[in-house]
Amino acid sequence: MVEISIVIGIDVGGTFTDFVLWQDGGHIIHKVLSTHPQPEIGVVNGLKELGLLPDETDFGIGPSKTQSADIIHGSTIATNALLERKGAKVALVTTRGFTDLIDIGRQNRPGLYSFWADMPAPLVDRDYRFGVDERIGSCGEVIRPVDVSGLSSLMRALSDKGINAVAVCFLFSFLNPEHEQVVENYLVDNGFFVSASYKILPEYREYERLSTTVVNAFVTPLVASYLAKLTSGMGEGLARNLRIMQSNGGLVSAMSAARQAVQTVLSGPAGGAVATQQLGKNTGIERLISFDMGGTSTDVSLVDGDIQFTTEFSIYGSPIKVPVIDIHTIGAGGGSIAWIDAGGALQVGPESAGSDPGPACYGRGEKPTITDANLVLGRLHPKHFLGGRQELDLEHAKRVLSRMADECGLDLLATADGVIRIAISNMEKAIRKISVERGYDPRDFTLIAFGGAGPMHACELAEAALIPRVLIPKIPGVFSAYGMTVSDVAKDYSKSVLIRQTDFTTETLENTFTPLLDAARADLTAEGFNEESMRLEKALDVRYIGQSFELTIPIAGFADDYPGAFHKMHSERYGHASPDEEIEVVGVRVRAIGLRDKPEVAMVEQAKEPVVVDLKSCTFFDGWYDAACYHRENLLAGHTLTGPALIFQLDTTTVIPPGWLAEVDRYGNLILQKENG
Amino acid sequence: MLDVASFDPVAIRIFGNLFASIAEEMGVTLGRTAYSANIKERRDYSCAIFDKDLRLVAEGSHIPVHLGAMPLSLSESAKRIDFNPGDTVIVNDPFAGGTHLPDITLTSPIFLDEALIGFAVSRAHHADVGSHFPGSMGLGHTIHEEGVCISPSKLVAGSRIDERLLESFLQQVRNPKERLGDLKAQLAANEIGKSRFIDLVTKYGLDDIGKQIDNTIAYTRICTEILLQSMPSGTYSFIDYLDDDGFSDKPLKIEVAIKISGNRARIDFSGTDAQVESCVNAPLAVTHSAVYYVFRCLLPSTVLVNHGTFYPLTIKAPEGSLVNAAYPAGVAAGNVETSQRIVDVLLGALAQALPDRIPAASQGTMNNLSFGFKYPGGGEHTYYETIGGGMGAYPGKDGLSGVHTHMTNTLNTPIEALELAFPVRVRECSLRHGSGGNGKFSGGDGITRSIEFLEDSMVSILSDRRRTRPYGLNKGEPGASGRNILTCGDEEIELPGKTSFNVKAGDIVTIETPGGGGCGG
Repeated sequence: MVEISIVIGIDVGGTFTDFVLWQDGGHIIHKVLSTHPQPEIGVVNGLKELGLLPDETDFGIGPSKTQSADIIHGSTIATNALLERKGAKVALVTTRGFTDLIDIGRQNRPGLYSFWADMPAPLVDRDYRFGVDERIGSCGEVIRPVDVSGLSSLMRALSDKGINAVAVCFLFSFLNPEHEQVVENYLVDNGFFVSASYKILPEYREYERLSTTVVNAFVTPLVASYLAKLTSGMGEGLARNLRIMQSNGGLVSAMSAARQAVQTVLSGPAGGAVATQQLGKNTGIERLISFDMGGTSTDVSLVDGDIQFTTEFSIYGSPIKVPVIDIHTIGAGGGSIAWIDAGGALQVGPESAGSDPGPACYGRGEKPTITDANLVLGRLHPKHFLGGRQELDLEHAKRVLSRMADECGLDLLATADGVIRIAISNMEKAIRKISVERGYDPRDFTLIAFGGAGPMHACELAEAALIPRVLIPKIPGVFSAYGMTVSDVAKDYSKSVLIRQTDFTTETLENTFTPLLDAARADLTAEGFNEESMRLEKALDVRYIGQSFELTIPIAGFADDYPGAFHKMHSERYGHASPDEEIEVVGVRVRAIGLRDKPEVAMVEQAKEPVVVDLKSCTFFDGWYDAACYHRENLLAGHTLTGPALIFQLDTTTVIPPGWLAEVDRYGNLILQKENG
Repeated sequence: MLDVASFDPVAIRIFGNLFASIAEEMGVTLGRTAYSANIKERRDYSCAIFDKDLRLVAEGSHIPVHLGAMPLSLSESAKRIDFNPGDTVIVNDPFAGGTHLPDITLTSPIFLDEALIGFAVSRAHHADVGSHFPGSMGLGHTIHEEGVCISPSKLVAGSRIDERLLESFLQQVRNPKERLGDLKAQLAANEIGKSRFIDLVTKYGLDDIGKQIDNTIAYTRICTEILLQSMPSGTYSFIDYLDDDGFSDKPLKIEVAIKISGNRARIDFSGTDAQVESCVNAPLAVTHSAVYYVFRCLLPSTVLVNHGTFYPLTIKAPEGSLVNAAYPAGVAAGNVETSQRIVDVLLGALAQALPDRIPAASQGTMNNLSFGFKYPGGGEHTYYETIGGGMGAYPGKDGLSGVHTHMTNTLNTPIEALELAFPVRVRECSLRHGSGGNGKFSGGDGITRSIEFLEDSMVSILSDRRRTRPYGLNKGEPGASGRNILTCGDEEIELPGKTSFNVKAGDIVTIETPGGGGCGG
C-alpha cells in the first residue's frame, strides 16, 4: 500500500483558487486565478505549477512514484448552479394534489415591507411537475396504492421533455418509502438520475424535504460532470484520493459527492469554520468567532470548541434541511460601495464594485469603496497590495471619495473614517446575530480574522463587538484551503420517528438506530476507514408532546437518560423546563466520522528583533500617526508589536490600531489585545 | 429645500444599528424563551424601544399590524399609570391601545438613577385569552364574547409581580401554564431591552444618546417628508367593501381621502360605515398600523423605523366607526380581516398619486380557519391557521402566488405535522391557477386547501373577499373571489365567508383563497 505523504487543500474562490500543500511537516501556499465557468482548468493549472502534474513550472516537490497525494477540494459548482439557475433539467414527481408545494413553500413572502418581490425561478418548471395517484397516511399505512399503470406514460413524458434528473417526494415517505421506491426503481431502470426524498432526507415536514430533494436533483448531475472532468485532468494517480468538502464541515469521496451533491452547497466557507476549530485546538483558544471578509461579502460563524450547525439553511429561496455549518453572511467586503441615501445618511453596501471595475483605487471605478477609504486613511500601502501585484491609485481614490465628502458636507478624512465605521457597525450587527442572539456573550470569545480584508478591520470590529482578543492566523489568505486539509470525513444520517416517552424502550431505540448505524459503517468502510478510525455519534430529536420544535440531544448509549438531558438542555437554551410533562422522540440522527491523520503545524523560529520596513502615515479615529510597517514573513515567535502598525503579507494587510498590542505565538499566529485591557 | 446638513450623516446608520439591535435582541429573547408555538414558530410578536417622551426609537417587528399599535399602547398606558422603577404594565384592551384581545402588550419603564429615560415594550399574540371560541378568534357580537380584557395595569410593581392580577387572568384562559410561560418570556425580553438601553446610555452618556435619538428620528422624518413632497399635491379618495359582518348580507364600506399637501399627508376615513355588532371592527391601533405599513413600504429600505415616520402623517378616523371602534365592539377579526381592507383603500387612493409605485389589491383576507376536537378523556384540542393567497401585481412585476400579504406573514403548518397531530387528512394543497387577475402584469394566484375530517368536529372560518374581488389597477382585471366549500358525500355546499359549523367524519372543507388583482391593460 502506498503511503500518503502529501496533503493538498484546494479552495476555488471567485477570484483566486487557493492551494495549501503539506509535505514533510512543512507547508507551501499557492494561488492561481480562478477560471470560471470551468474551474477545473484553474485547479489543474495550480497542480501543474506545484509540480504535481507534469509540464509547466516545476517547483521540485512532486510526489515520487511511491507516494500518493491526499487531495481535498472545496467546490462552488453547486452554489453557482443554484445562484445562476444553471443546473440539471429537473422533473418533480409527487403526490397528486401537491405539485405546487414547491411554489407555496411555507406561504411567507420574502420582504415584509415591500409591495413586490423578485423570487428566483423555481428549480422545476411547472410543465415538468407530475402528480401521481398514491397516498401514505400519518401512521405509514397505505391509503391509496401507487398507480403503477401510469408509470410508463410518466416515463414517456419525461423522455419527451428531455428531462435528465428526477426528484421524487411523496407525503409521509419518511414513514413508509414503498411508493417512492416503486417509482425510483422504475425510473432508474429506465436510465434516469433519480433523487428520492426517503434517501436524501427521511424527515417530516414535506416542503423542506421536497426542496432538499429537488436541490439535490438540480445540482448533482452538474457536480458529477465537473468531478469527471477534474479527475480526468488530474490523472488517475492524484484523483484516487480526491475528497470533497461538504457544508457540514466534513469530507466525502468524490464518488460519493457525485451521487449526492446537495451536501456541497457551502463547501468553501465550511473550510474556514473547520480551520477555525483546528486553530483553536492548536492554540488552546477554543471559543472563537470567525470573521472572513473578502471582496464582496463577510461570513461570520461561531466555534465554541465545536462547530455550530443549523438545519434551517436556505439558499436563493430553496431550503436545504441537511445539517449545515451555521454561517451568517452579509454584503460587506473590500469592494462594498459607499453611498448617500435620500435622507442624507451615509450607507455602505450591500452593492459591491466587484473585481470589475473594482474599487476606485484600482484605477477604473468611479464609486468609493471600503478599500478606497482604507487607502485614503493610510491603512493600505499603495505598493504592498496583493503582495505588490496590484498598485493602488491613491489620487483617484481621493478624488472619488472627495466627491462624496462634498455631497455629505464632511471633509475627506471624516468621510473615509465614516465609511469604515459604518462597515464595522454593519459587521458588528452580523456578529451579534451569531453570538448574542444565540445566547453567547462575545466577551468570552476571541475574534479570528481571515480573508483578504478581515485582518484589516479585526481590531476595530472586536472593539465594537466587545470581543477582548483577536487572532490572525499565519496564512489568513488561504485559511479555508488550510481547513480542508485538517478535516475529517463526515456523513450525516437521520430519520423521523414518533416514539412517546411511555412507549419507549431501549430495544425500540436500538432497532430504530440499527439501519442508520449499518449504513454509516458501510459508507465509512467504502471510504477506506476501519473500526478504529470510525466514530459514530448518535443523537435524538426530542420535544414536549404537542410542541412543534425539537432539541437535538446527543446520546452515548441506548440506555442513556435522554429525558434528563432534554430537560436540562431545554432549561439552558430557553430558560425553563417542565420535567413532569411527557416528551416524545421525533427523530434519530447519526453522524459518522472517519478520522484522518492531520498535518501538524510547524512551529516558527524564536524571535530576535523585528525588522521595521518602513514608517507610514496612518489615520485612526483621533488623528494621524506614524505606523511601523512589517512584513509578515519576518515575524518570529515572541515578537511583540505595538500599534499603530501595519503588517503586510501576500494577500492581506493586518492593521494594528493605536492602543493595541500584537504578539506572535509559537505557530506564527498574531494574538492582539488592547493595552491595559 | 430641506436642510440635510444639520445632522451627522455617519452617526445615523451607526446609532440606527445600535438602537435596532436592542429591539432585535428583545425579539430573539422572546422567541427563544416563549412556550407557545404561535410565538416560537409563527413569530407572532414584536418588540420596541421608546424614549422618555414616548417616541418610538426602534422596533423589531415581524408583524406589520403591530407597527403602529405599539406607540398607542404606550401612550394610553402613560395616560393612566404613574411609572416607577421596576414596574411593568400589561394591556390588551382594544380601546386603550390594544389591537385584539390575544395581543398582549407589556411595557417596562427604564430608569437610570431614579430618572425615567425610556421604555422597553413587547407585544405577543397569545394562543388563547378566554372566550367560548377556542383560540379566542370566533364570530361574536361584542368584545365580551372575545375573552379577558385588561386595561392598563401594573403586572409588576417595583419588581414584585401582582399575583392577584396574574391569577385572575390565568383562571380565565384555556392553557394557563402556556400563558404564564409566554408572559414570562415577554418580561425576559423587556429586561434585556432595559439593560441594553442602560448599557448604551452608560457608554455614550445620556445627552449624546438623546442627541442621536433626535438625529435618527429627524432623519426618518425627513425621509418621510421627501417621499410626501415627491407626490403630487391633491386629495385622493377610494372606497372598498368588506363582504359582510357575518350575520347579515350587507357590505360594509371603508372610505378614505388622502390629502397630500407639500410634505404633509392627512389620512381621513370619514364616510366609513359605523361599527357593527360583530367581530370585524378595527380599533384605532389597527388603523394606525395599516397607515404606517403602507407609507413604510414606500420608503427606501435603508430608512430607520422610528417615530419620524409618524409626524408628517395625520390620521382622522371617526369614533364609533369600523376603523375606530368604541366599546363594546367586537374586534377579533378587525385585526386580521378589516386591517387588510384598510390597506386596500389606502393603496387604491395612493395609486392615483403614485401610479408607478402602487400594486393592485392583494387577496385582502387572512382566511382564518380553526377547528377543535374533544379528547376522549375530556378537554379540547384546537387548531388555528391562516392561509395565503394572491399578491396584487405591481407595475413591472407579477404578483406572487400563494403567500401572505400586507398585514401578516405567518408560516403555514406542514401537512405532515398537521396530520400527525390531528385526525384530518389534507386532500389538496395547490395554487388556484388562473385566479390572479389578468393584466400586463398578472396578480398572484390564490391557494386551494382541502381538508378531510376523520372525526366529528366544530369548524370556524373568518374570511372575506368571498363576494367582492381584489381590484385590478390601470385596466388590470380583478383577482378571483375566494370560496369556502363543504363536501358531504356527493353534496357540495357553498359556505359563507364567516361561519361556524359542525362537520361529520368524512366531510371535506375546501378553502379557495382569492387571487391578486392584475396591473396594466
